[in-house]
Amino acid sequence: MIAVKNLCKAFGENEVLKGVNEHIEKGEKVVIIGPSGSGKSTFLRCLNLLEEPTGGSIIFEGQNITAKDTDINLIRRKMGMVFQQFNLFPHLTVKENIKLAPVKLKIMADEEADKRALQLLERVGLPDKADSYPIQLSGGQQQRIAIARALAMNPDVMLFDEPTSALDPEMVGEVLEIMKELAEDGMTMVVVTHEMGFAREVATRVLFMDGGNIVEQNEPKAFFANPQNPRLKDFLSKVL
Amino acid sequence: MTELTFANWLGTVPEWLAGWPEGVQRLFFQFYQTFVYQDRWTFFTNGLKTTFLITLGALLLGVLIGVLVAVVRSAHDSRRAGARPNLVLNFFNTVCKLYLTVIRGTPMMVQLLIMGYVILKPRGEQAVLVTAIVAFGINSGAYVAEIVRSGIMSISAGQMEAGRSLGLTYGKTMWYIIIPQAIKNILPALGNEMITLIKETSIVTVIAGKDLTKAAQVIVTKTNQYLVPYISLAVIYLVIVLILTKLLGLLERRLRTSDRR
Repeated sequence: MIAVKNLCKAFGENEVLKGVNEHIEKGEKVVIIGPSGSGKSTFLRCLNLLEEPTGGSIIFEGQNITAKDTDINLIRRKMGMVFQQFNLFPHLTVKENIKLAPVKLKIMADEEADKRALQLLERVGLPDKADSYPIQLSGGQQQRIAIARALAMNPDVMLFDEPTSALDPEMVGEVLEIMKELAEDGMTMVVVTHEMGFAREVATRVLFMDGGNIVEQNEPKAFFANPQNPRLKDFLSKVL
Repeated sequence: MTELTFANWLGTVPEWLAGWPEGVQRLFFQFYQTFVYQDRWTFFTNGLKTTFLITLGALLLGVLIGVLVAVVRSAHDSRRAGARPNLVLNFFNTVCKLYLTVIRGTPMMVQLLIMGYVILKPRGEQAVLVTAIVAFGINSGAYVAEIVRSGIMSISAGQMEAGRSLGLTYGKTMWYIIIPQAIKNILPALGNEMITLIKETSIVTVIAGKDLTKAAQVIVTKTNQYLVPYISLAVIYLVIVLILTKLLGLLERRLRTSDRR
């Protein structure tokens, strides 16, 4: 579904990604972990071109999205993204947040989008918040709405950029729960996170990034039980 | 038509005024001359209409120009170092910067004179009105542009990213997500600009615009009295500004609904 070849990204002199190669298949739940500054967020943000790669290519569903003549806006409709800071639109109600993109992109009629929004709110367990404004919600609730907003576009893959890092500890669980349900429904997911429990439980594959490259990857059981790379061993000894 | 004299007027006043000192009577006389005699209040209402038309037209034009310039400028400035240079954007950015420099660097009065006597040379009342709207609109646009740009910059980059990640274009994200939030933040500054604008239109008399100020001037030449026409003029402007301030306050409160917890 996503094929990344020799992906490079530099901010001026600072090389953040140094030729990353990776294949992500449909239905996979890939969790990316690694120390801060390892390039894991940048890698994720390159997948939907929120960061413009400085080298290499990304093929999504058979289309080279880094090519100049690719309409990235059409690609992004198929890639939902959830941010660390939620980034809900504060001037719109919850329902309007969810409806905005499908309606403005003329994918759904207003009424249809209404129905879809309520359905999604049901799914993330917040059906009574349709007419609230984001500021009236807790962090965990806001992030669940953000997930619903991304799902409204019926994406083929969901990208999560540290979705629980800005949350108070007692709200982490509710967001992870929604993500787990999403995984069980078969959604293809790429998740950058520090939640090792989530990685262990939900991931089909765990990647460890360090210094701008993927240095080790495995299915979760072996990944945590039997790490090979010394930097991964060191990292796990600190976080587990 | 000969102007009414004080003595003639005194013969027509009601009894209660006859007993007052002459100073007060003369003040009343001027007031009568300024507003009542020959229905002169219509000068003011007609002038007020012109003032409002120029202000409204210039404001619309100014906001249009301002938003365009602000979007170009912030699109240019938000590009990261090292990104591929965009020649079209660079060109428009340079044009916008030149516009801002020239308009903010020269007096409004001079711009109006140039527009009125060099570029458009209007003949007839309507043409003068249009010329005034264009001149004030172009001027206001430069200030609105910087206000809007500050508003756009006040919105976190995450909002743009969230919009773009849903597949919305840069333009749609700007229009539906960034601009509405920016407007709310800059409303006090925009209101200020509007108040400045409405007062500044008084110089339209230099290109023969028949605005509120011109009305007072006409009456001065007819009556040869300055006090009441000019003080009244000031009071009228003041009242307009007070009403505007009040309305803007109400609008600000309305827009703040999404901030209430």
